[in-house]
Amino acid sequence: MTNTKTRTLLRSDELSCPSCVPKIEGALRALAGVEKAEVKFASGRIEVEHDPAQTSVDALVQAIARTGYTARPSAF
Amino acid sequence: MLSALTTIYRQPAERRKWLTIASGLFITAALVAWYGFGLAAPWAPLMTIAAVLAGYDIALRAWGALRIRQLSIELLVIVAAIGALFIDNHWESAAVTFLFMLGAWLETRTMSRTRGALKALIDAAPVTATVVRGGETIEVAAHEVALGETVLVRAGQRLPVDGEVTEGTAAVNEASITGEPIPAEKAPGSKVFAGTLAENGLLHLRATGVGADTTLARIISRVEEAQEAKAPAQRMIESFGRWYTPAVFVLAIVSYLVTRNVELALTLLVVSCPGALVISTPVSVVAGIGRAARAGILIKGGEHLENAGRIDTLALDKTGTLTEGQPRLAEVVALSGQSKDDVLLWAGIAETGSTHPLGRPIIEAARKQGPLPTAASLEEIAGMGLIARHDGHDIAVGSHRLFDHLEIDFNAEAKDGIARLHGLGHTVVIVARNGTVVGLLGLADMPRASARPMIDRLHALGVSRVVMLTGDQRPAAEAIARAVGVDEVHAAMMPDDKLERIRAMRAEGLRVAMVGDGINDAPALAAADISIAMGASGSDIAIETADIALMTDDLGKIAEAMEISRATISNMRQNLVISVLTVVGLLFGVYTGTIHMAGGMLVHQLSVLIVILNAMRLLRVPKAVRARAARAAERVAA
Repeated sequence: MTNTKTRTLLRSDELSCPSCVPKIEGALRALAGVEKAEVKFASGRIEVEHDPAQTSVDALVQAIARTGYTARPSAF
Repeated sequence: MLSALTTIYRQPAERRKWLTIASGLFITAALVAWYGFGLAAPWAPLMTIAAVLAGYDIALRAWGALRIRQLSIELLVIVAAIGALFIDNHWESAAVTFLFMLGAWLETRTMSRTRGALKALIDAAPVTATVVRGGETIEVAAHEVALGETVLVRAGQRLPVDGEVTEGTAAVNEASITGEPIPAEKAPGSKVFAGTLAENGLLHLRATGVGADTTLARIISRVEEAQEAKAPAQRMIESFGRWYTPAVFVLAIVSYLVTRNVELALTLLVVSCPGALVISTPVSVVAGIGRAARAGILIKGGEHLENAGRIDTLALDKTGTLTEGQPRLAEVVALSGQSKDDVLLWAGIAETGSTHPLGRPIIEAARKQGPLPTAASLEEIAGMGLIARHDGHDIAVGSHRLFDHLEIDFNAEAKDGIARLHGLGHTVVIVARNGTVVGLLGLADMPRASARPMIDRLHALGVSRVVMLTGDQRPAAEAIARAVGVDEVHAAMMPDDKLERIRAMRAEGLRVAMVGDGINDAPALAAADISIAMGASGSDIAIETADIALMTDDLGKIAEAMEISRATISNMRQNLVISVLTVVGLLFGVYTGTIHMAGGMLVHQLSVLIVILNAMRLLRVPKAVRARAARAAERVAA
């Protein structure tokens, strides 16, 4: 097994209530190749550790959109 | 047209906005038909359409949460709305879903403005950089600049990387990093930071930090970690939220079984979402820390934010905080028969050959009198002083040791003068001509002009003891302490002594903040209730380790941090009171039958908005602070 996971940082402006945290985290963790997903309500940061070969950054954004929130990748 | 609609549909925020607007239009139409034209027939269908439009997105979210086995607030609302349709209460159903959507939309907008203090910082870093590669200037993405590469920055542009100026000069506004509104002059050799703004000139930089490895990026990630660090109250509320939603379902069912009142049960579902309660503390913390970051104050978490307001004792070193950190010529003493101008002139001629830090202020002062002639010969005697020959005179300038070495004696007047200057805490430079002492120069690290008002302000804020802990000798320390109004002086301290002092003060029950600038203060910093690093913009260690990092050397930021801390604590309390009262009031209203579904939703959404808006007040810079900044800017301009 080679370690192929990367860490992607996404940001969303739309988290207005912490009830969205488990929803988004759950949706991300359900994706193949996602090892860790953490939503920080206070800052609106979403940290994902995933295998880009199985799940692209775009797929992460799509999965978040399906829970009803817009997020975009961020360099830092 | 159709493709435009699908684009909107795929953007959750846009979709929600248009669904809310459409739902609102149908509700308005129903109201106009009923009250304007007395038409009863369109009422039920129009209201049902409005409920379906607004409820569609709520149902989607509720379903999304259910699929990962979570009972969500959206589920409460959608069950209530569907229930209302079944008992033919179309108005309630439409109003509840519409108000929920409208509230969520407003909350999102205000919430993102609360986070906006940081957004400005994130946006400060430009996405592209102009680099010189193979003799050509090309545009590349800012994070693709290689370390050591030359980056060009023109007037009006923000710097894309951290670096060192290799060519050119410019006035650079560093407000994004330091909070300081007055631009700093940058010349070859100066360090510059990504996200700062070149107001004029043209700079060539050698990149030393790129992308996530810039001071700006580190500040942002520190601030965000701080905002995310949960205060104990917040953790409690979150675990409470986990069993709260199921509990509300149980409560609604039990209430129905007892009262047989469907509407009461449904209203309970709507009003008992703990929205305001759940966000009451985090919004205040986010706003408080964001507000501080904008002023160049990094507070590393809710806990430190709380503690900062409770400081009653401040310990600090002298050099670089209370003083300018550079020696200045404080006094010229001419012994009898000599003039001060001559003493300074002789000293200046000799010091032109000096590499010692005390030489520069003497030369500067001497040059103010007129041009300095070049000495015929000059010799530096390391660690002692200088010997020069000019115009047929032998000049000796230096410390006591130089004169012992040259075997020049001091007369009584010279001895008295030296003792007096030592008593003032000055470093004494002795000037002799042709084997006779003619005068003395007193050099001192002068207190900053801003130090006294800053300490007065700290006293006014309730910091009753300002304590100086310094490695310097007692006379120098006391002279500064008197000038700036420090309450207590501990001089000639080693790092361990500082640590002991801090421990002793804490043992007395004082809440001690320690301001430090370097490795030698580290043990004392760690022992204090709160550690504050000053002038942190150049030093990663300070940003990483201190509880509060001030990006400039401005002592006034300590007072500002305390004010922000206190404002945030009281803001948090107000929010908790508002949200608890709302929940209690709503539950009371529901059981007494005075609040129905639509009204309940309205009150609930309003309480969430009030809590966010209240937190946003923290982002405003108070008038007093703005006035102080304006005065400081005038002083510098003058």
